[in-house]
Amino acid sequence: METLEYSSQVRERFEKPDNAGRLLGRSVTGGAGDEALGTRVEFDFRLSGDRVEKGVFRAYGCPHAIAAASWVAESAEGRPLWDTTWLDPLSLASVLEVPDYKLGVLLVVQDALEDAARQVERMED
Amino acid sequence: MISAGDIIYLDYAATTPVDDRVAEVMCECMTRDGVYANPASRSHQLGRDAQGRVEMARREVARLLGASHTEVIWTSGATESDNLALKGVAHAFRDRGRHIVTCRTEHKAVLDTARQLEREGFEVTYLTPADAGRVTAEQVREALRDETLLVSVMHVNNETGVVSDVAAIGRVCRERGVLFHVDAAQSAGKLPLDVNRMHVDLMSVSGHKIYGPKGIGALFVRSGAASRLEPIIHGGGHERGMRSGTLPTHQIAGMGEAFRIATREANAEGERIGMLRDRLWEGLVGLGGVLLNGHPEARVPGILNVSFEGVEGESLLFALRELAVSSGSACTSATREASYVLRALGRSDQLAQSSIRFSIGRYTTAEEIDRALAVVSEQVHRLRDLAPKNMLSGRRQAS
Repeated sequence: METLEYSSQVRERFEKPDNAGRLLGRSVTGGAGDEALGTRVEFDFRLSGDRVEKGVFRAYGCPHAIAAASWVAESAEGRPLWDTTWLDPLSLASVLEVPDYKLGVLLVVQDALEDAARQVERMED
Repeated sequence: MISAGDIIYLDYAATTPVDDRVAEVMCECMTRDGVYANPASRSHQLGRDAQGRVEMARREVARLLGASHTEVIWTSGATESDNLALKGVAHAFRDRGRHIVTCRTEHKAVLDTARQLEREGFEVTYLTPADAGRVTAEQVREALRDETLLVSVMHVNNETGVVSDVAAIGRVCRERGVLFHVDAAQSAGKLPLDVNRMHVDLMSVSGHKIYGPKGIGALFVRSGAASRLEPIIHGGGHERGMRSGTLPTHQIAGMGEAFRIATREANAEGERIGMLRDRLWEGLVGLGGVLLNGHPEARVPGILNVSFEGVEGESLLFALRELAVSSGSACTSATREASYVLRALGRSDQLAQSSIRFSIGRYTTAEEIDRALAVVSEQVHRLRDLAPKNMLSGRRQAS
């Protein structure tokens, strides 16, 4: 086993994510990934108009996956859910100090957010 | 931040701390007031004193193996012993045959050596364990050919602790006139060994797995049948020409002392460690979704390998950093390669990656086991609660 090294933000979000869980009541859910492949991320977003009022996550994966899901759920708050262009996996990798070989994990997190955005589009259709 | 002193060491299968009694003996063989001379320098008393220490240690190792001291060769460790056994036999007796039989769950020291021999033109059969991690004598019998030169099967698997019936396999090899090598790095000092009763021709052992120093090991080479191994290290003709190089007296004396202690104390120690292992297992089972990897009965007392359903391997290992344990996954690497041993036992990649090997040893206490259980329980529950669905019941997690 190689050394397990994580940034302080990854450690904090992994140890004590304060936005993990499930939202009760009306919310939009998006998910991506597969536990059998090592990473599964889901989001619940409560909307106020088209903007996210509250975001929570659930994650099965490495500490980077858990920390990234926590960061995205929190950062989505106040933004319109249909617009996911603000999430750039490379920028997120830089913020959380995620190594290159873990970029695939961040793509799963991005897919889960975009899945939630598509749920909004379907609701509007 | 967890300081090193707060970490509970449960990785005795990886290596052990040197026993204080061993360290004392080693210190006697290093400095100017001790036995520091070259044991090959038989022209003076100091050299002969060192030689005496080396030969005393050789007898201790031989005693634990049930061998003659003339059949023990010093090496740098079990990896070199495995290399010398496989390459030494293959290169010395290639005119007899070019087929080797081993097992997919062997240590890399055997598997990578076998791969090298394949590149040199030898043919290797890799058996898949049929009996919860154990290779059976019947499997070996079926794999043997007229041109089979060597069978190499480990006694105790380093990841699962599963014990193979090497005596039965040895009997098959002896009947067919095939040389038999056993990697006993994980069993020496833990289980009774007898190279004659087990029909073993070559046996690898290590110092650091049984509270001796790192960097020293030995290879039992049976007189007659296999005593003309082709060396892999040349220069000086030490160890009857099979392993050249100045003998490290302090390490050899340390290994001898470690083997002497094991000969006297292994039985009682095994009983105590087995009780601690059972205490740990009973606590882990209570968490639910905990699977034992390997044979339920045929296993060494000190190793417990389990998979945790519903918990990702890398997160689990990081969450358990208060414990020094081994993981079944190289999960921080780019490849995320799951343990080849657990995969060979039929575990999925996911379960292999969420496996933890707890290995208990001489200095483990009941309090440490209880603390380890509390840490594992807290973290496994926490990570399962974070997951999208409760994988134990297959239902989505309650809100």
